[in-house]
Amino acid sequence: MTEKKNNRYVTLLLTLLLSMVVGAIFMFALGFKPFEAYVQLFKGAFLGKVNLGTTLQKFVPVLLTGVGFAVASKVGCFNAGIEGELYLGAITAAWAGHYLPKMPAPIHILICLVLAMIVGALWAAIPAILKVKWDVNEICVCILSTYIAKYFTSWLCNGPLSAKTGMPQTPAVHENIMLTQIMKPSQANTGLFLAVIIVVAVIWLLYRSTLGYKFLTVGLNSSHADYMGINSKKVVIQGMMLSGALGGIAGTIEVLGVYGYFLDNFSLNIANDGMLSSMIVWNDIRLVPLMSFFVAALKSGALSMERFAGVPRSIVDTITAIFIIFATMETLFNLKKKKKKEKVTTVSSEEGGKK
Amino acid sequence: MAAKDDFIVEMSDIDKSFPAVHAVDGGQFTLRKGEIHSLIGENGAGKSTMMKMLYGLYRPDGGVIKINGKVMENLTPSISISEGIGMVHQEFMLVNDLTVLENVILGFEPKKGVKIDFEESRSKINHYVETYHMDIQPDKRIDQISVGEAQRVEIIKTLYRGANVLILDEPTAVLTPQECTKFFEILQELRNDGKSIVFISHKLNEVMDISDRITVMRNGKYIATVNKEDTNTTQLAKMMVGREVFLSIEKEKGNIGAPILELKDIWTSGEKELSKIRGVSFDVCAGEIVGIAGVDGNGQSELIEAIAGLRKVEKGQVILDGQDITNYTPLQARQAGLTHIPEDRNLRGLNRALSIEENLVAWRFEEKPYAKGINRNKKEIRKFAERLIEKFDIRPADPTVITQSLSGGNAQKIVVAREVDADGKLLIASQPSRGVDIGAIESIRKILNTVKKEGKGILLVSADLEEVLALSDRIVVMYEGKIMGIVDSEDATTDNVGLLMLGERPDDEEKEVS
Repeated sequence: MTEKKNNRYVTLLLTLLLSMVVGAIFMFALGFKPFEAYVQLFKGAFLGKVNLGTTLQKFVPVLLTGVGFAVASKVGCFNAGIEGELYLGAITAAWAGHYLPKMPAPIHILICLVLAMIVGALWAAIPAILKVKWDVNEICVCILSTYIAKYFTSWLCNGPLSAKTGMPQTPAVHENIMLTQIMKPSQANTGLFLAVIIVVAVIWLLYRSTLGYKFLTVGLNSSHADYMGINSKKVVIQGMMLSGALGGIAGTIEVLGVYGYFLDNFSLNIANDGMLSSMIVWNDIRLVPLMSFFVAALKSGALSMERFAGVPRSIVDTITAIFIIFATMETLFNLKKKKKKEKVTTVSSEEGGKK
Repeated sequence: MAAKDDFIVEMSDIDKSFPAVHAVDGGQFTLRKGEIHSLIGENGAGKSTMMKMLYGLYRPDGGVIKINGKVMENLTPSISISEGIGMVHQEFMLVNDLTVLENVILGFEPKKGVKIDFEESRSKINHYVETYHMDIQPDKRIDQISVGEAQRVEIIKTLYRGANVLILDEPTAVLTPQECTKFFEILQELRNDGKSIVFISHKLNEVMDISDRITVMRNGKYIATVNKEDTNTTQLAKMMVGREVFLSIEKEKGNIGAPILELKDIWTSGEKELSKIRGVSFDVCAGEIVGIAGVDGNGQSELIEAIAGLRKVEKGQVILDGQDITNYTPLQARQAGLTHIPEDRNLRGLNRALSIEENLVAWRFEEKPYAKGINRNKKEIRKFAERLIEKFDIRPADPTVITQSLSGGNAQKIVVAREVDADGKLLIASQPSRGVDIGAIESIRKILNTVKKEGKGILLVSADLEEVLALSDRIVVMYEGKIMGIVDSEDATTDNVGLLMLGERPDDEEKEVS
């Protein structure tokens, strides 16, 4: 087990280096100076309070949606709809933050959070229920339901919930429930700690609790789970709901920590970055934080790379994309693994031979 | 003795390692023209690996493979096929939606311009059908024919591709005794026609029936090659296992008590057919083993699933110790005292990606002391697992090992341990010794007998008729979703049960037939 884990770290590191090299070749071919670009990227992501703060601020939603995606994958679902859950969670929090009467801040924040979680969870339950009841492909439903969520929130913040300022946004939440800024003047906020606590709790839930055991069992072998008396359909729905709730939390922190209101189309596909961070590390929840931090750093460093080295920001997306391609080629750096696979096939065929 | 040079296949000092497993170590095998040569050994002895190397699926790490006197290096399946080697795998490699004819010619179609020449294919196939008396129906789709027929199609397919050497990997596992007899006749005709046959098996009686020579392997090592005339099953078993084996357990009529399981007119659907099970009724009493015999696919699996709550019972009643458990969920059925060793341990029985301890605790992980609230108590789970590992002699004795890497026997012991330890009223044992080595078969059968002596009811399903006969007190024979007959173990023989399995009643009508 440990050996396998170590392999993964090495593979991940090699993949990272390789994709950076490929990215460099791209830049070189386009007439830029790759080394300088990377230096600026690094500086822009980590050096200085503002830069590091921005990285941390971007890290939070990527982390939460990434972990959310990984949770769904544990029950065998591909939750492509986490962006939608994030939007609905965000607008719920923005609504609760503005329209509910004044009350002590901690309680109010908690209410925003819980409502957003419920909304996210219920939204994610739709594809899960369709999947277990009628075998509808959850990816399709997720993609479509994300459009609905986006357009619905867009309508809300342009219509019934509009702040009427000419901008497509909701009225600001009460000042006192805004999460404290921790690295002024960047937008990093205490939502970071909240996110870390929640992620630790999710990891505990998955690997130490009976619920997590059900998730793992169902995700790995649902026939076995059913035979052992676990209702696999119920567990799949629960898994997706937890995943959606995490999306809702991500949305809440964005609203209460960064914007102060719901802004139409605010996320710029943050949840997709989360999804990718999870997929790159084979949905291993314990590696997701690492990967989402890296992705967030790329995102926040990209701006200064563009500004100071003249390299277009989109090159970062290219690097991420290359990263994913390499990361999915699991055997790329591991010839040993290849041999192992061969062994697995013999074992299974031997097994077959005994029937 | 024939001269050395008429070996059609010669494999010497073969060596093959997979990471962590030395699969074949000094393997020897020779094959003459026109002989049936059996390759026997326990599971994992390296028989399949040897033959896969001959067929070019694996490359040996060391040793020499000669085919038709030529040293073959870099053997691939296509080279092997062109050298006249053909392999019939245990899982048939047939396309269900195509007809028999299309399956046979697939990849080697005779062409007329750009079209397939079906006339020529048909006449070629008919040639094999007539020469070897293999009746097949060329225009039926594969999913419409029986397993026995599918096997004949596989053989014709191999012959059609020009095979002189046929490697048959456990071909009789799916056949009834009667189909077996017919199958052996075909093999003999093939041999008389000069074809050579490698027969991989672990059923010693069959091996003694059909072979000219027998090669025994154990733990990847070559043990011996003997002529059939010079050996007997006892000696072969000893060579295979490395010690004396006692598979035939002294059957004691236990104290048969009140009915534990009562099935009353059960009806249920299969995956494809409605009413797969049509009105099945029988009892299993305390202290009794009732065996269900039948060719695979005659409704045994569906019946078991219906009893265990995994398939909906459409009509009828399942009564466990006086309690109506019809259409209980699997968990409710367990709580009512039903334990179940499922037929496919890789699909249902085990979660192969999880460790031994997680599998052992799989149905009681929410109970105290293994969990407090939702907090799992890993220490208690470990203790529990260690106890079972010791009691049931599961190897390796490390509860954290992932079950995927275990041998069939030890993997099955995990399932058996979990279900027997659950201490229910009824134990359903479906194919309990499928794919496990002789040593494990021996201990699993002993365990079943102990459970019976404890006064529990056992419902045994096995595709291995010998196993059913060896263990059961009563035998229920199923055919096409119905009960063909219930035979007391004293009256049961391979012949009369075999006939019932084929849907025919024995001629002598005195047999107790319900």
